[in-house]
Formats: sequence, C-alpha cells, structure tokens
Amino acid sequence: MDYCLHKEKSVNDKTILLVEDNPDDEELTLRALKKNNILNEVNVVRDGQEALDYLFCQGAYAARDPRRAPAVVLLDLKLPKIEGLEVLKRLRADERTRMQPIVILTSSKEEHDLLNGYRLGANSYIRKLVDFTKFTEAVRQLGLYWLVLNEPPPQMR
Amino acid sequence: MTGEITREAERDQAVDPNSYAKAILNILADFSDEKARLSGVQKAILNILEDSASEKVWLEATQRATLNILEDFGAETQKVEQTNREMAKEIAERKRAEEALLKAKAATDAANQGLELVNKELEAFSYSVSHDLRAPLRSIDGFSQAVIEDYADRLDDQAKDYLNRVRAATQRMGHLIDDMLALARVTRAEMRRETVDLSALAGDVLAELRKSEPDRRVECHIEPGLVAEGDTRLLRVALVNLLGNAWKFTGKQARARIEFGAHPQKTGGPAYFVRDNGAGFDMTYAGKLFGAFQRLHTSQEFPGTGVGLATVQRVVHRHGGQVWAESAVGKGATFYFTL
Repeated sequence: MDYCLHKEKSVNDKTILLVEDNPDDEELTLRALKKNNILNEVNVVRDGQEALDYLFCQGAYAARDPRRAPAVVLLDLKLPKIEGLEVLKRLRADERTRMQPIVILTSSKEEHDLLNGYRLGANSYIRKLVDFTKFTEAVRQLGLYWLVLNEPPPQMR
Repeated sequence: MTGEITREAERDQAVDPNSYAKAILNILADFSDEKARLSGVQKAILNILEDSASEKVWLEATQRATLNILEDFGAETQKVEQTNREMAKEIAERKRAEEALLKAKAATDAANQGLELVNKELEAFSYSVSHDLRAPLRSIDGFSQAVIEDYADRLDDQAKDYLNRVRAATQRMGHLIDDMLALARVTRAEMRRETVDLSALAGDVLAELRKSEPDRRVECHIEPGLVAEGDTRLLRVALVNLLGNAWKFTGKQARARIEFGAHPQKTGGPAYFVRDNGAGFDMTYAGKLFGAFQRLHTSQEFPGTGVGLATVQRVVHRHGGQVWAESAVGKGATFYFTL
C-alpha cells in the first residue's frame, strides 16, 4: 500500500519502507514524518513475509521494479509470520539486498535484540520511545539522515 | 633248625668218618652261608623295620602337618568367609551410596532444569514486557499529543490539562517498565567476577550525573583506590542507583555533598558507603527501604519508581554481601554495602 502523504513535492524521490504490524505505531510514525515535513513516499508492509516479498519483488510485489529500492527500511522486530531479525538475516544473505540500508525501529532495548541486530548487519538501531515528543524528534532525525544526508550504496542509485 | 642238622651229622659220622668230616665241613660251609644269608635277611628286615619306623614317624609328621593344614585351612576359610561377608556388605553399601548419589544427581538435574525453565520464562516475560507493554503506552501518549496539537482550538485549558496528565502518567508507566526490566535483568544476568575499581566507577557515575544537570553544584568526595572483586556491570548498576539517589535527594540542598568511601569492619571485607547531606528519611520506615515499588517520599517531593534500592539490594545479595542504611529526616543518609 502506498502512502503519498502530501500532494506537495518531497525533497527527492527516495522512498521509505516501513515494516510495522501495529496500526497505532504505523499511524504515529507516519504522523511524525508528516509533522517533520518529510513528504517522501512511505510504503508500509505488515509482517516479515510481506517485507521480504516487497524487497525481493516477489509474491504480491512481483511487478515492483527492483531498481526502486527504498532509501531506508524501518524494521520492527516483533512481527507476525517472520520476525524482524530473521527478515534482516535473509536480506543480508541475499546479494540483491546485502547493502540495503536497514534501521531497526523497535520498542525493545533488550541487550539480546541490540546485539543480534548489529550482528546480523543492521545499519542503525532506534528505540520507539513512549514519549511521543521524543519519538517525533527521533523520526525527524532518522528521515533527515537517511533521505537527505546519507549517500546510498552505488547499485541503488 | 640248627639242632636237626647236628643230629644228622652224628648219624653220618657213624657210617664213614671221612665222609662224616666232609659232610660236617659241607654242612658248616652251608651253615655259615645260610647264617650269612640269614643275617643279611635279618639285616634287611631290620633295615626294613628301621625304615618303616622312620617312615611311620614321617607319616605321622605328615599326618600332623596335614591336620594342621586342615585346621589352618578351616580357620583360613572362616577368615575368607568373614572377609567375603564384609566385602558383600561394603559393596551393598557402596551400591546404596551410588544409588543415593544418582538420585541426588537426578534431583539436582531436575532442579537445574526447573531453574533453567524459570529463567527462560522470565526472559520471555521480560522480552514480552519490553516489546508489548510499551506499545499501548506509546499509542496513549502519541494520540493524546495528536489531539492536543490538532484540536487545540477546540479544547479548553482543563481538557488540555487532562490530556497532559494522561501523557505524564504514560511516561511514568514507561519509566516503571524500564526499571522493572532493569531489576529483572540484575536477577538473571550472569555473574562475571573480576577486579573492579569502585573509586573509578563512582567517579564515572558522578561525572554522568553532573553532565545531566550541569547547573547543580555538588561537592563530591571519592576515596581513591577502592578495589573489590565483583561483576563490573552489576556494581555499576548499584552505584548508579546509590549515587543517583544521593544526587536526587540533595537536590534541595544549597550546599550538597556526596561522599563515597569505605570503613574497615571487624570481620570480613570493608563496608563501602555512599553518604549524602540530603533529605534523609525516618528510620521507622527503614524496613520498607529495599522493597520493590516502595517509596518513602511522594513523587511530588522527589520523583522515582521505588525500584532503585531493590535493584541495589539484588546486586549486593548476588555478590553475597549485605546492604543497610542510616539516616534521619533532614540529616542526609548513608548507605552501606559489603561484597
């Protein structure tokens, strides 16, 4: 499902893939992006399998252009069907998605999750804070960094 | 026999004196031969008798020896039987001990398995709390904020105040969850004993506290060179809570002072202490001090979740030490702990 947040033009045509099963968190993340004038296209998938289908352009996403990789994947850890860390593992094991920027965006600050997140090759690990003001600020910096500051790997340009 | 031969010789004499003499000579010759033969036989018999006597002595000796041997053998058999009985008893005892050991091992294995299961469950519980309990809070906080932002023109001040209270409560709940998880982590974390520079650790923690409130002026004194054996990460958690409390409860003091040091004790290692000149507390309630979610001050006076000292106690107990406090209202507090 595509979310074109505003009719206004975004800073660039980079897209974000949000992997999130909680509709409240989805709404709050989209709201935080909007509040910070991050108007890029955000695609939302709601479980681990759908995330893999989207990124590998298979299943329901077979028609998707594989050259249009998202600038960043915001990956929740606790997901239906295939959990976040497993999704990360499979993405890193595949040549097509080995370099895909992936940010873990999760409630957990369990050491186990942090350790495995980085071990499996996450580019960053951001906590979804309870305080929405702080959460909004985190999303603002996240968007700015991955959509504007960060240079993506060459094959994804 | 000799007599008969003599009479025959007398008869022959009468017939022919010559042949008589010859015969006598022959007889005599025969006789002496016979005598020699007889004496040989006699000797042989005597020899045999002699031999048989010595043989008898020998036989008797052998018999005695045999009897002795048989007697000894009987005693020996008894001894062997006794030894056998003792060995059988010992084997049975060893078997029993072995069985008891196996039983104890099985019980320990079962207990360990149970413990592992409980730990796994605790981990799963913590994980679930960490992930799932925060999510609804974020929704409550986030959408309250969204209402405040998006419908500001339609909300009066009281409505905004209520929504802000909702937000404050969710954040408090968030802190509670974080502290509870920290407490659980202290309980299940694996202990790694090493030499820990407590003075350096206390210095780090105080430096962090200073950074968090750079405007506060707090006089800190750390006794140098305090070294202990323990788990660095857990001891850091304890000092973060103790020094954090000292920092917090001196917040209303114009000249705040925090001290970290050690007192030698009569037995065992030293008692380390964190002393402050802050609000202090009434010793009547000292028993509640280390219980989880117990507080001696209201949140309005000093914020907190009541988990800090429970966490400190768990860390100290895991090191096999004790923790206690001395204080009086308005006179500061001193927290002691051993490791």
